[in-house]
Order: sequence, then C-alpha cells, then structure tokens
Amino acid sequence: MNFIVVRRAHRKRAVKSVKRLSLRKYSARMGFMLILPWILGFLLLKAFPILAALWYSFTNFHMLQPDQIQFIGLQNYITFFNDRRAINSLIRSLNYFITTVPIEMIAALLLAAVFASERLRLKRILRTLFFMPSIIPAVAISIIVSGLLNRDSGWLNQLILRPLNLQNVLGRNTFPIVLALWTIGPGFLIMLSAMLNVPREIYEAARVDGAGPLARFVLITLPMISPAVFFSLVINMISSFGGVALLDRGLPYSRSLSPMESYISSQLFSGSYNLGYASALAWVMFIVVMLITLALFFSTRYWVQFPEEEDNEEI
Amino acid sequence: MKRSESPRRSRNRDTSTLTLRLWEFAGNGLLNLFIWITLVVYLFPLSYMLITSVKTSAQMRDSKSPIWPARAVTFNYNGTALLVYKVPTPSGVQHWALEQPHITYSLFVDPAKPQAGLIRWDGYWGSLTLVYLPSVTLENFVTLWQTFNYPNLLRNTLFVIALGEIGVLFSSIMVAYGFARFRIPGGKFLFFLLIGTIMIPDSITLVPTFVLFGRVLNWTGTFYPLLVPQFFGSAIYIFLLRQNFKTIPRDLDEAAMLDGAGPLRTLVSVILPQSIPTVVTVALLHFFNAWNELKMASLYLGVRPDLQTIAFSTQTTQSVGTTTEGLQAAALLLMLIPLVVLFLSQRFFMQDMVIANVEK
Repeated sequence: MNFIVVRRAHRKRAVKSVKRLSLRKYSARMGFMLILPWILGFLLLKAFPILAALWYSFTNFHMLQPDQIQFIGLQNYITFFNDRRAINSLIRSLNYFITTVPIEMIAALLLAAVFASERLRLKRILRTLFFMPSIIPAVAISIIVSGLLNRDSGWLNQLILRPLNLQNVLGRNTFPIVLALWTIGPGFLIMLSAMLNVPREIYEAARVDGAGPLARFVLITLPMISPAVFFSLVINMISSFGGVALLDRGLPYSRSLSPMESYISSQLFSGSYNLGYASALAWVMFIVVMLITLALFFSTRYWVQFPEEEDNEEI
Repeated sequence: MKRSESPRRSRNRDTSTLTLRLWEFAGNGLLNLFIWITLVVYLFPLSYMLITSVKTSAQMRDSKSPIWPARAVTFNYNGTALLVYKVPTPSGVQHWALEQPHITYSLFVDPAKPQAGLIRWDGYWGSLTLVYLPSVTLENFVTLWQTFNYPNLLRNTLFVIALGEIGVLFSSIMVAYGFARFRIPGGKFLFFLLIGTIMIPDSITLVPTFVLFGRVLNWTGTFYPLLVPQFFGSAIYIFLLRQNFKTIPRDLDEAAMLDGAGPLRTLVSVILPQSIPTVVTVALLHFFNAWNELKMASLYLGVRPDLQTIAFSTQTTQSVGTTTEGLQAAALLLMLIPLVVLFLSQRFFMQDMVIANVEK
C-alpha cells in the first residue's frame, strides 16, 4: 500500500518534470524564434561591421583602388597619433560630452522636480511645450542660434545688449549650450515619471521626522530615482557622441555633434575615400566611448539603487 | 471665561489659516508664474524662425531694418519711388522723402505737401534712419514651392516612414515579447548585449555598412538602406517595450494560454491592448526620427533628387551659399510644421515612461 503510493507519487513527479522540460524547451524555442530578427540584425549590422572595421583598420583599403588592398599592420594607428587634427577632434568630442551632458542632466532634473510638485497647474500642456524643442532638427537650431546670437545683427545684440550699451561677450560655445538646453526632453520625462512613482508615504514619514524639502529631495527623491537618472545619463551620453538614442536631431555624419565623427566622415567622403584610416579612427572612437560606458556602468554600484528584479523564471 | 475664550481662539485660528492659505496661494501663483516665464524664454528662440521666414530678402540685406517683418516706406514723386527718412528739424522729426542725396546737405520732399517743392536739409543723409511699416511677405514660401517638388518630397518621406514604421514596430514588439516572457538560454546575456548595442557609436559601423550597402548590395540611390535595418528591430524600442511588457501581470497570459491561445495570439489579444501607450510612444518616436533622419539619407539618396526626403532637401538649402536666411527659415518651418502639429495633437507620447529596472 505504502509502496504503491510512493511509486505513484514518483510517477506523477516524473510526468510533471517531463512536461516541464518539454514546456521549457518549447519556451526556449519560441523565445528564440521571437528574438531572431534582433539576433540577425545584431550579427549583420553590428557585430560583422565592427569586426570588418577592425580588419580594414589594419589595411590601406582605399575605395578608389579596392584591388590594391594590403595589410599594413598598425600603420593607420601610428598615423592617428601623429595626426593633430584627429587628436584635436577627439578631444573636442570629449569636451562636448563633458560640457553638455551635465547641463542637460541638471536642467532636466530641476524641471522634473518642479513638475513633481502638486502646486503646478496645467502640467500636461506645460510638459508638451517643454518637450517640444527636443524634436526640432539641429539644422533649425543652428540658424536660430546664429540669428539670435550673431555679434552684429543678432537679436540679443539688437534687443538687449545695444540698448543697454553692453559688450557682446558671447563666444562660439553658445550653440552647444543652447542645443543642450533644448535636448532635455527625454531625460526630463524619464526622471519625472520616476519621481511620480516614488511612494508618497516615504515623503510623509520624512516630513514627520523633520526633513525639509531640500533634504527630502536629496535623501529620498534622488536615491529613489537613481535608475532613471542613470538611464537619462546614458541617453544623453549617446547623443552627445553623435548617436541616436531616443530622438534623432537629423544631422548627417559630416555635421555630427561629435567632431570626431565628422572628421571620420571627412576622411571617408571628402575626396580621400580612405576606408582603412577612417576605420582605424572609428575604432579609436569606439574604444574611447566603450571605456566611458564601462566606467559609467561600473560607477552604478556606488550611486544607483537598482530595484530587485522579480523572479520570473517560471513560465 | 470659557465662553469668552473659545470664540476668540477660533477667530485666531481662522485668521492664521487664512494667512497660511494666502501665503500658499501666493507661493503657488509665483511657482506657476515662474514656470510660464521660463517656458516663454525657453521657446522664444523659435519665434526667430517664424519672423525671419516672413521677411523679404531686401530686409534681410538691410542691416538697419527692425527686427519685426517690415518694408521701408517709399513716396512716389514725379514717377520715381523715393525712400522716406526720419529727418530731425527744428520743428520736430519729419518724415520726408529723399530726393537728392549729397554729402553735406540733401534735398527732401514732404510727402504731405509735395507741391511745396524741395526742402533743403543740412547734414549727412546716411546718418538718418528709414521709416518702416510692418509688412509680411510669403515670397520665401513661394520661392521654395517653385524650387522644390514638395508633394514628391512629402510622398517619399511618408513612404519611408510608413514602411519603416511597419518593420520596426513588428520586429521590435516580437523581440521585446520574446525577451519579456520566454526563457531563452542565455537570455540575460543577450539582453545585456542588446543594451550594449545602444551605446555603440554609429561611426564604428559606418565604413563597413557603407561598403555593404553601397558597394556589395549596390543600394545607393534606393530606399533600402533606410528601410531594411528597421526590420531587424531597434534596440532602444525593444528595451522600452520589454520593460513595459514585464509590468503586465502574467496571470492574464496564463489565462489566455489555458483558453488555448498560442503565444502570438496571447501577444495580440492580451499584451498589446494593455501596452498601447508604450506602443504609440515607440511609433511616434520612430515617426519623429524618420522625419528628421539625415545620416542614411545623405549617404545614399544624394544621387537621386527624385527620391530625396523633406529633411534632406531642407538641409540642402543650408549648404547652398546663396540662399538667404529667410529662405532657410521658411524651409525649416515647412519641415517643422507637420512634426509639431503631430506632436501637439497626440496625448500618448511618453505618457508613462516607467523605467522599472535598467539592468546591467
């Protein structure tokens, strides 16, 4: 009697595990089929080009003489270290990243903090209007900025500085700053929605304990929304290096925000068609950006509090 | 005692809550005012484009002209159009038309009394300012309409957007569903890889993809380089959709599965209806991006003017040296209006971009 029960239970378990195994297999197969487009795209449009660029970077591949392709070792990289314009472009790219990203982050964070307040009315309209400049193509911004800030005929000069007899102190760096201030949209929305998701009870408890608004913001809001801050940081970083994260500013390679990217495209298209050298430059840029990315991800363990990923192993 | 005290105390409390309310009201008002002022300053530069686009090219060349769209006032005297200047005289500033400019003196006509003849005024006429009247012109838009084939540009752009939209939505939803709901061996690693690809700078893939599309596949002068990549899904859209799909309770798809629905049926009838805001957000993101897109268009469509998109032709107005700023502004305005109208008319965009967990 006892024996039979045990065997029955055993069989039941066995059946269950077979079922689960096949289900698991089915799930794996189905999931793999579903993600197949991305895997193909990754191999064709990312992995293969990156490796191909690595191969090109060790050759003198020239578009006008594709039959004379030769392996030249590290020659392209040595050329890079002696190419002052290339190094200068790389430094300017990094400089652009370092100046604009903090402006974007701080402006977006402050705006999100104001929007999280219950005192503000007409939030929907305001939110839409504040976001709007983020979809405006960069070519439009460049003529707007030059029209506003031109040293002689610019509006700022005509409307404010000349009547007040002030000197025009605007430098060439105003375009990136205006562009940065007009790019806060995505970061603002991401951080705002994170702020609105912070449970109200925590704020109430802190208020009871005597924490002021600033303390509540620094000690509660910032740590609670740190994943969103990190996400917007990543998005701003990508666009500061000329990539498209969420919104495309519509800049061709030749006029990229990242001077390094436009230098690469100038090596490629304006007359020289030097694919080998352009690939080497691209690899230098790739390594630099990846190092920054890795440093950012590594830094998250000190300031980002990721929520626990819920266990969803079972299907 | 008690009787006399209690009303006073309550009156006290009334006044104190009243002042508190007043303060709060004033504070709220100030906050709202502050935000609206910030918004006006923030959006003010856009007005430059609106105003510049309706200025005549003559005004753009005239550096002394006012900021608002204007034309110089002229007076028709004996068959010639004379410019009207603000002339300071002992009896106040007069608006006179300049008839004979000389260095030390000039002869003017008073438009109010032309029969009175020429008036001599001592001084250099070049230091005088013109009289302007507000005047709006549509000449820039007319020139653009005649130079560019706008219906064709719009048709190309909308074609690229529509096909790309189908491709990118279809594939990104599939992939996101796969990552959100199925146990794929190495799924975590693959998802990490997906996030990693978002951060790869475009310039690294530029050369080999250019060789592949332009030389091997010979796709220069076709829409394929703009469209085909969309059918492999876009990493950031997959990420956004996957995060959203994960917030939908699993019980719902389990119930659907028990009712005999397959995975695709579950996706269409359970998951998608619940994630409409995110799907619309992704669709709109793609619309805005494809509308502004220039990287691919400038690489592959430059040789085929008949296939060019609206962003591409707008950009060419800037690279041609002779186009005036008014023309550029008008071209940009024509490109921007559909974008802004679409943006302002919808209510879904990024409604709740909940980034539940940004994994490493």
